[in-house]
Amino acid sequence: MRKIAKEQEQDGAEIDLTPMLDVVFIMLIFFIVVASFIKEAGIEVNRPDDNQPEDPNDSVSIVVEIASDGQIWMENRRVDVRAVRANIQRLLAEDPEAPVTVKVEKGAKSGIVVDVADAAREAGVGIVNWASDKG
Amino acid sequence: MSLRDQAGRPSAASKQEENQIDLTPMLDVVFIMLIFFIVTSSFVKEPGIEIFKPQAETTEACLRGTIIFAVDTRGEIYYNKNKLPLDRALRTAEAAKKEAPQANIVIQIDRETPAFAVEELIDTVRPVLTAPPCISTDEA
Repeated sequence: MRKIAKEQEQDGAEIDLTPMLDVVFIMLIFFIVVASFIKEAGIEVNRPDDNQPEDPNDSVSIVVEIASDGQIWMENRRVDVRAVRANIQRLLAEDPEAPVTVKVEKGAKSGIVVDVADAAREAGVGIVNWASDKG
Repeated sequence: MSLRDQAGRPSAASKQEENQIDLTPMLDVVFIMLIFFIVTSSFVKEPGIEIFKPQAETTEACLRGTIIFAVDTRGEIYYNKNKLPLDRALRTAEAAKKEAPQANIVIQIDRETPAFAVEELIDTVRPVLTAPPCISTDEA
């Protein structure tokens, strides 16, 4: 009888860490599950401010127009999606620092804008501007 | 663990302790892992809609792109699994930016998303933009 009492006393003095470990483990699992290591990938597209006065450098930028029906126009000629890159490369050879401005008419799909921006980036353009064509 | 038990007295208590595994070092490791995961979890809120992203050859990682908006084919904006009217997009972006000042904005779009809707969204959240927005694409 005395022995049992002594054992209980000893148990009382020592803290049992197991329940705490349980809690910590559950928290750990929760945070592992919640920590979704999302790595978004994509392309950066600059959008110039419409309200700001026209950039004087804009005259030198390579302009690609996208019509509302998805047609791509460069220098008043209709070009195919696959030919955009070659055309931009040709214009870029004249001015390697030129930015590309994509003028998008209302009604065009985003997919075509991304295609053009991608082609421009492939051609080696640093900044692709996404502008709206108000005309 | 009492000293008397370590002295080697063959008591029932000491035998019990020998059989018991000391959990303290494990607890230390688990605690450190817990703190690591708490610190690294950036709580990215996903838009939570199914979209077919456009493909791009020049796809690269969006630097710190953790504020993710999505625009679906009808031009509706989603953030954190909720549909969002355009006029609330700025407030949402501001709140997200306050939580994580280093974060940049990512816009998930579908191939068929009207370009105009994306333009409107970018124009709306412009005040919080610190870098060009990242248009989410898939590697071609």
